[in-house]
Amino acid sequence: MNRTNNKISWVHLTSKLRQLFVAVLSVVFGISMYIFMNSFMNGVNNAQTDITFTSMAHIKVYNDLNGESPILLPPPLSSDTIQFVSNAREISYTEGIRNADEIKNILLSNKNIVAVTEQVNQNVFFRNGVAKLNGTLSGIDVTNEPRLFGTNDYMVEGDLTELDKRPDAIVLGSGLAVRLSAYTGDNITLTTSDGVTKIFRITGIIETGTGSIDKSRAMISIQSARQLLSKNKSYATEVLANVRDYNDARKIADEVKGDIKYKTEPWQEGNAQLESANTLRDIIAVAVSLTILIVAGFGIYNIMNMTVNEKMKEIAILKAMGFDGKDIIQIFLTQSIIIGLIGGFTGLITGFIISAIVDRIPFHIASFTTLPISYIPLDYVMALVFGLIITFIAGYLPAKKASEVDPVAILRG
Amino acid sequence: MQSLAAVNINKYFYDPQEFHVLKEVSFEVKRGEFISVVGKSGSGKSTLLYLLSTLDTAYTGSIAINGTTVTGLTQNQLATFRNEHIGFVFQFHYLLPEFTVLDNVMLPALKLNKRPKEEIREKALDLLTLLDVRGHEHKKASMISGGQQQRVAIARALINDPAIIMGDEPTGNLDSKNTKTVFNIFRQLARERNQTIIAVTHDDEFAANCDRIIEMVDGRIIAQHP
Ligand SMILES: Nc1ncnc2c1ncn2[C@@H]1O[C@H](COP(=O)(O)OP(=O)(O)OP(=O)(O)O)[C@@H](O)[C@H]1O
Ligand SMILES: [Mg+2]
Repeated sequence: MNRTNNKISWVHLTSKLRQLFVAVLSVVFGISMYIFMNSFMNGVNNAQTDITFTSMAHIKVYNDLNGESPILLPPPLSSDTIQFVSNAREISYTEGIRNADEIKNILLSNKNIVAVTEQVNQNVFFRNGVAKLNGTLSGIDVTNEPRLFGTNDYMVEGDLTELDKRPDAIVLGSGLAVRLSAYTGDNITLTTSDGVTKIFRITGIIETGTGSIDKSRAMISIQSARQLLSKNKSYATEVLANVRDYNDARKIADEVKGDIKYKTEPWQEGNAQLESANTLRDIIAVAVSLTILIVAGFGIYNIMNMTVNEKMKEIAILKAMGFDGKDIIQIFLTQSIIIGLIGGFTGLITGFIISAIVDRIPFHIASFTTLPISYIPLDYVMALVFGLIITFIAGYLPAKKASEVDPVAILRG
Repeated sequence: MQSLAAVNINKYFYDPQEFHVLKEVSFEVKRGEFISVVGKSGSGKSTLLYLLSTLDTAYTGSIAINGTTVTGLTQNQLATFRNEHIGFVFQFHYLLPEFTVLDNVMLPALKLNKRPKEEIREKALDLLTLLDVRGHEHKKASMISGGQQQRVAIARALINDPAIIMGDEPTGNLDSKNTKTVFNIFRQLARERNQTIIAVTHDDEFAANCDRIIEMVDGRIIAQHP
């Protein structure tokens, strides 16, 4: 029975090759666009995240000074005493983290934290001849810094390890170098907010892709930074950690928070726009690609509907010969499923090829040289699953209609 | 032994207006009988045949074929029943145009799926030889002449050795030689294999040589002879 029905489906399919081709093409289009859209959006999301995390750690520990002012005087004991304190200010507080090593150890003991580094950050003046600019000086741990930020990948000139070899070495952000008209090998003068001045030699240029950072940040080794600020050996302004999956940062920050007496902040805090941009792009990708698939579904529906209308007489004859409603559904549904399968697999390949081509289109930003594409197997699985579901529905409706044809009405002529 | 019994059949058409097309039709057919139904155009012959072949179920009264009351069976049960027990030749020789002549003849047997494919093929070729359309079996059904198509349709009706064969002017498109061939085949099937034949015809000679003639006027059976 099945073989006979399949034979009929096959004859129907192959006797109208042009229609078959158009139907298959609409599925190919739908599936390949689904794959391309999702691969591209995921690529953009990943690129965006990559760029973001070149200068931002997943978890940041720092000394948050915006605490409440301590009570300077005990409140008066009796109600007939009036106390005035005007112009209150804190006179003794600790800036930065005194014992960064301890914090590093706490962070490293969490198995989800994959890398930890410390920084000494300070606002300074950069001076090169008459050019005088305000910016951030980062004292970095040359070994650990690249583990978090892939810093080495963004060096456009020079080598980061030079910072460890010479205490007066400095790496400038590309924008900062341009603004200072300074080049590798030049000397520039730094002045701290405490008025300490020191000459550094430019040994490298870095470009992370985030303009505001490239324009204002310079890096020296953390030891030199401590020296410059006259701080002790374990001093840091912040301790930074990366976790295995950046989406888990919030959870892991909560885990370690209890042991750390400084502010422990996951990246999502204060960067909600990044998270929501990713989510929005995902929603757009899914909405657009599903729409395309549904349009492809209409294509199949249209063609199968046409086929059924053209074959009313044949359907009536089949029914008169003893084929029942189930057989008729099977005959026509098989045709759409075959269209769905051929179109589906061709679509997977086409989608991959389109993605691969776009992946090669030059596009220079940060460390990227081509448009970003992510190849995610799940996208391909979902494309095929959605594609087949839609083909099935689009094929079932006309098949159902065919099964309900009244043979007498048609055969009476 | 009874092959077919119709009891008090009434049928109406409601579109465009109510029309009583079959009126209290009752008759019986014995197994192996060769019957022709005659009557003026519009007297309800085709309509009656659609009821008897179980394609049309909108009627009152009851029909029994081979001892099975088909009135009241579901569409799917009727489809299976038709496939096995009824061979039908339509007034307009309907074949499946995209299939070859041979496939057209084989399809009802492939659907029934009671014999191996090779045997079905042999049988189909034998029937095509019998009906003098041998040599065209690999052509598309749409590529042969009207008369040839009608004979292919007859071969298709015979492929499952149905207990009852119904034809709505099965020789309507045939010349006198082929009409004679078809008549002789029917005659032989009825006599030798005990298959019942009910054929609507306008051909007086065809009718005259049958076992019995049922004559219809305005939806009523007015005479049966001899
Ligand atoms: N679907 C229909 N709706 C309404 N009336 C119909 C329908 N089909 C047939 N009729 C009417 O029923 C009557 C019987 O039609 P039927 O086709 O059975 O005639 P017939 O005896 O086979 O004629 P012919 O010899 O021309 O084939 C005719 O008057 C016809 O107009
Ligand atoms: Mg008629």
